[in-house]
Amino acid sequence: MAGILSLVRRIYLSFYNWIVFFGWFQVFYLAVKTLKESGHEHVYDAVEKPLLLAQTAAILEILHGLVGLVRSPVSATLPQISSRLYVMWGILWSFPELRSHILVSSLVISWSVTEIIRYSFFGTKEAFGSAPSWLLWLRYSTFLLLYPSGITSEVGLIYSALPYITESGKYSLRMPNKWNFSFDYYYAGLVALGIYVPGNPHMYGYMLGQRKKALSKSKKE
Amino acid sequence: MKVLVVTRSGKELIKGGLQLNDSATVADLQEAIHKRTRKYYPSRQRLTLPVQPGSKERPTVLHYQKSLSEYTKGSTSELTVVFKDLGPQVKYSTLFFFEYLGPLLLYPIFYYFPVYKYFGYKEERVIHPVQTYALYYWCFHYFKRIMETFFVHRFSHATSPISNVFRNCAYYWSFGAFIAYFVNHPLYTPVSDLQMKIGFGFGIVCQVANFYCHLLLRNLRSPSGNGGYQIPRGFLFNIVTCANYTTEIYQWLGFNIATQTVAGYVFMVVAAGIMTNWALGKHRRLKKLFDGKEGRPKYPRRWVILPPFL
Repeated sequence: MAGILSLVRRIYLSFYNWIVFFGWFQVFYLAVKTLKESGHEHVYDAVEKPLLLAQTAAILEILHGLVGLVRSPVSATLPQISSRLYVMWGILWSFPELRSHILVSSLVISWSVTEIIRYSFFGTKEAFGSAPSWLLWLRYSTFLLLYPSGITSEVGLIYSALPYITESGKYSLRMPNKWNFSFDYYYAGLVALGIYVPGNPHMYGYMLGQRKKALSKSKKE
Repeated sequence: MKVLVVTRSGKELIKGGLQLNDSATVADLQEAIHKRTRKYYPSRQRLTLPVQPGSKERPTVLHYQKSLSEYTKGSTSELTVVFKDLGPQVKYSTLFFFEYLGPLLLYPIFYYFPVYKYFGYKEERVIHPVQTYALYYWCFHYFKRIMETFFVHRFSHATSPISNVFRNCAYYWSFGAFIAYFVNHPLYTPVSDLQMKIGFGFGIVCQVANFYCHLLLRNLRSPSGNGGYQIPRGFLFNIVTCANYTTEIYQWLGFNIATQTVAGYVFMVVAAGIMTNWALGKHRRLKKLFDGKEGRPKYPRRWVILPPFL
């Protein structure tokens, strides 16, 4: 019984990882193609569909962690996925004025390269039992550059969105109202920016630790 | 008898061990450790019996009132204990005082001082009666809590790590400011007069009931402060284990019915969640302790915290 379940798990995860890999590959391909042919202002429009799909699919990974299908702790995946979904849906998709910004290109490239490596790494591991050492190296080394470039893009875009947030009043609730509650999406944006300050050294440090563990383990084998 | 004190990594904390009377208690051992290590006063020490490496058993914690010979299994005159430093500790009364002081002082600031001008609102505001009553109700509640901390509650011997001061104060002070901001807001919308009266009336009844629950709990423990657990009886305890938490939650419900803010309801739900966690632990502990075997009473069938749900 356990053997069959473990096999189903492997098949499911292989499918999941390779399908999402394909989504991110599309994002990367379209981004580079558009950059070369039309310029950075058009990158968002070109990648929007696969980007929204592939990134939103990552919600499943929180579920995987919660039910124990994968070993990754929810405490590490939840903040990562939340920040991605916030930037993607809460900033880029909600405020079209930002879509022609050059940071969109750096964001999309950083995210897609990271995810292509990550999903092919896990996809290979699930499908074949192990991943080649060069892929392991890539998975645990490219973040060294792509984390800073991705985060700079995220922070830059959130910051650029602030005037549009105030102007549009989107997602904000004003008083007076029956439930005596108010929510200001602008301040929420400031709080989000604030969270990046301790949040990112923490995530970067976590990845550095993971890198040490993973690369030293492979040396021993 | 000789007592070896080791850390969890196996190192000897006290070289050569300690010599104690055969009749010595764990408290005597803790005093001896404190004398030799200076830094580790007794409430910072967690002493356990060693477990076999690889064993999944939870280690036996040495209880300060028990005699050491109860842990040597009679035969040997040498005992090995494992030491863990719990970090700097504070008394529960200290912890409670600071966590309750925040809401008591912060809430009136939003009522009395023109803070809303810093949020961009005009200075003139009309104060509705419900806002004034809410101020009195809220401040009375936290004043009551502080008084109970010093004059009613009998804490088990335990202290709390100092890090909990920061964690708990962040929780109480943040929620206090969060609720105070909305109830005292210049654009606050009051509920009907009847709803306000029902809310505060119900809340006051529950606060009185809650106080009575605390008195009943106090009388379960003797003043010498040796903690321990008894089956709570009388008043609402006959039907629910943690009647004190039940009345506390309902008291917040009364406040929220009267003031009607999302912030107040969120606080109530979070607080209810935290208390439910504690209540489940207490209920399980009491059921385990009072299992009806060997002459012990059996813990009666009761709700845990919120009839008819749990």
